Order: sequence, then structure tokens, then C-alpha cells
Amino acid sequence: MSIQVENLTVDYNGKVALHGANLHLGAGAIAGLVGMNGSGKSTLFKAIMGFVAPSSGQVLINNLPIRRAQKQGLVAYIPQSEEVDWNFPVSVHDVVMMGRYGYMNFLRIPSKRDRQVVKDSLTKVQMWDYRDRQIGELSGGQKKRAFLARALAQQGTLMLLDEPFTGVDVKTEKAIIELLLELKAQGHTILISTHDLNSISTFCDQVVFINQTILAYGATQDIFTQENLARTFGEIIPNIKTDRD
Amino acid sequence: MNIFMNILDWFTAPLSYDFMVRAILISGFIGIVCAVLSCFMTLKGWALMGDAVSHSVTPGVVLAHILGLPFAIGAFVFGVGSVLAIGFIKSHTRIKEYTVIGLVFTGFFAFGLVLISKNPSNIDLNHILFGNILGISTSDLIQTLVIGIFTLITVLILRKDLLLFCFDPIHARSIGLNVDVLYYVLLTLLSLTIVVALQAVGIILVVAMLVTPGAIAYLLTDRFDHMIGYAVLSGVFSNVIGTYISYYLDASTGGCIVVLQTLLFVMVMIFAPKYGLLRKKLYR
Repeated sequence: MSIQVENLTVDYNGKVALHGANLHLGAGAIAGLVGMNGSGKSTLFKAIMGFVAPSSGQVLINNLPIRRAQKQGLVAYIPQSEEVDWNFPVSVHDVVMMGRYGYMNFLRIPSKRDRQVVKDSLTKVQMWDYRDRQIGELSGGQKKRAFLARALAQQGTLMLLDEPFTGVDVKTEKAIIELLLELKAQGHTILISTHDLNSISTFCDQVVFINQTILAYGATQDIFTQENLARTFGEIIPNIKTDRD
Repeated sequence: MNIFMNILDWFTAPLSYDFMVRAILISGFIGIVCAVLSCFMTLKGWALMGDAVSHSVTPGVVLAHILGLPFAIGAFVFGVGSVLAIGFIKSHTRIKEYTVIGLVFTGFFAFGLVLISKNPSNIDLNHILFGNILGISTSDLIQTLVIGIFTLITVLILRKDLLLFCFDPIHARSIGLNVDVLYYVLLTLLSLTIVVALQAVGIILVVAMLVTPGAIAYLLTDRFDHMIGYAVLSGVFSNVIGTYISYYLDASTGGCIVVLQTLLFVMVMIFAPKYGLLRKKLYR
């Protein structure tokens, strides 16, 4: 698994949101995406998901164009909580089964294997007992784990997580991080945007700094520095522990 | 016993008229088609879109009449046309979606009114606006049945993809589904359903049949499959009973159907076991 962003420029009605961004992540990596609001974080996610057409440059996933990679189910996305309609009449099990649609024929009738994978995924995040709950009846941490289970069921090897730790209890945060580390060991590539800069050095082996373009990326111990943080956040440098302190 | 006979009589007496038998059966059928689609409309929040497409259909119906084509063709062309026009204006200008919808459908509707007023021959404006289920012709009946069955089968087959599209278009896209196609499929199904429902309640009230059964069902369950079931039940019930009531009151059929549906909604809103106002009041 790899993701390659080449000289990517995205603009909305003439306003440049991302300019000449380059990024390469190989197999078995957890990369923390660091930037202010409006720095182009969500634009980068959208471009990787194929939601915005770049005005120049390209994104390749496993050397495939986005659409082909998506058709193969390679890209799993875990949405922010605000993006989900929690009143929707679907159960936890329904949601996780949605991760399997790509493997089914057009009638989307689950096979034995689909059911097994859904069960395994739910068990993995300790949500099997909650499978029949309507999704709105879950706590913040459980909601997050339900969508994590969907990503597991999809078996995508590139995972995009948008602010996964907001509204989540410490226990769930730990569980999520443990799971991510396990997936990394299996060769998954994980890109994660987070405001929690302090936790980055604890579990991200790669960091990506973004501010209208990708300023720097690489191994955490090399580039998670005050200098790069300053370039990313301007004068307002948050009080962060870096490995070099 | 006497009461039972009276009730039975209430149901059977109108059936001695051929046109009533037809009207009751077809309105029940229309209730099913609309109810199924209304679940998606409710979840997607597309009430205004339904209103827009139904009004936009007007010039199509009139033109079809003038040209001697089946009304369904004209209605469908203009229904889809309005959807495309809304999509085009939205993506090519800075105007917000709801403004575009309001602008497009009133334009189409007004054009329809102009057409009707210039061709007064034998087009009855009232039938277009308010439906004419008691006087439905055999050819219209067949059209309604064919389109309705086609729509139902398509929704049934695509049910899961459409549901995923309503719930989480980002995920739908990330597993390689074509979300743009699904968007237009759902809008086309909406146009077809409107064509089906026109006969019963007319252009003005169509949107009620596309929203109310779904809204009723949404308050009754947390499961989508059950939601479709409840919507169909409430849709068929209000369409059939509404047709009976209109017979006895000698009142507008479309009006009776929609009033009944709305009353049903109010009852559910108050008494629904989980999401009813009463329950919320009692258990807070």
C-alpha cells in the first residue's frame, strides 16, 4: 500500500486551497496531518477521496488513479461525528455491513463471508453486543468505534481518519490507537488529522505539516520540530513537547 | 350486529359503481408507490425538491395533451428537465440551491399556466392541479400501473445503494459507487412517482404523498425496512379511506386523502411509542 500526492493544486472558484502539494507514504505508516483550520487539511482529504478535481497534479493510491483504487475498496474513510446523521434509521450492524457493499453484487445481499467479516470487525472494537442499537443510541466513543468497525469490514488498506478523537473518552482513544498500531503492523497506511498535537509523537511514526501546501513530511523524530510547527502555525505556536526538547 | 352491517355497507355501497372500484384500487396502488419513495425523500430532506418537480411537470402535461401524447411522457420530460435545470444553475452560478429550486419550479409552472390559458380546448386546469381519480381513463390507468410497477421494482433493486447514498454519500463514493448517478437515479424515480401520483391528487398536493407517509413512518421505527412497511400502510390506508370519504362527503378526493394523511401524522406525532410528544413529556 502506498499513497502518492504529486504536485497537487486544488482551487475553489479561483481561490487556491492547496498549492503544489507533494506527499509520499509507504506501507505500514501512521501519519499525523497537522495544520490550522483552513490550512487545506480537509481539501487534501477531499482530493484523496476524489471529491474535488485538482486543477493540476494527481493522487495515486497503490499506483492506481483514485477511482480505480476506490473500486477495489482500498480507501476507507472514517468521518467526523458532525458529518453523520445520527437519527438515521440504521443499526450498528447495518452501518458496518455498508463496508462490505463493494464486495457484494448489485443487489447487495450479504454472503456468509460478509456476515463473518462484519462480526469479526464488530468484535474487534468490542461493539458486537451493541450491533442492534440504532446508531444515535451510542456514546461518543461507541459511535467512533462503530465507524472504525465499518472501515475494518471494508478491509481498505489506506485509512483516512478525520479528527477521530474529538468527543471520545480516554479509554476509546487508547483502544483506537492500539488498533491503528496493529493495522500499521499489518501494512496499512493510515492518515489521520488531529488537533491533539501532544499525542502525535506517541503513536504517529510520520508527520505531515500543511499550510496551503505540504510544508514538510517525514519521520516524526526527524521533522516534528518547533521550527516546522512555527512554519505551520505562524506566530501562534501551541505549547508542544517535541522529541528534540 | 347492526353496527357491523352498517360499517360493511359503508365499504361496499360505493363498490357498485365501476368508477369507484377503479378509483379505490388505483389510489391504493399509488399509495404504495409514493410511500416507498417518501421514505427516501424524508431521510434526504427533499420535500422542496418534490414540490419543485411536481410543479415543473405542468407544461409537460399540457404539451402532451396538445400533441396527443401520453401525459406521462410530457410530465416525465419536464420533471427531469427541471431537475437538470436546477443542477445546472446551481453548479454554474453562485446562487444557493433552495433559491434555484424556487426560481426554476415557479418558472416552469407559470409556463404551464400560460399554455393552458392559450389552449382552452378541453384541458381542465382543475384536473391537472387537483387530480381526477374518479374520472381516470383506461389508458391513464394503464400508464399509471406500468410506470408505478417499474418504479417500485427499480427502488426495490437499488434500495440499499439509495439508502447508503442518503445516509453517507462520502462512504458510498469511497467504495467506488457512482454517487452522481445515484443522485440522478433518485431524482428520476422522484419524477416517475410524481407522474404516477398526479392522477390521484394533482400537482399541488403531490408533495404530501411524497413526504407524509415517510415522516409518519420515521416517527414509528428505527429500522429502515420497518419504515417502508409503516409508510406503505399509512399511504394505502389514507388513499383508500380518503377516496371513500370523498365519495360520502362529495368532496375533493385529493383534499380528503391529504387531510386524512395529515391527521394520521398528527396522531403519530403525539402518540408514537418512542418518538411521540406524549412519551417525551411523560418520561423526561
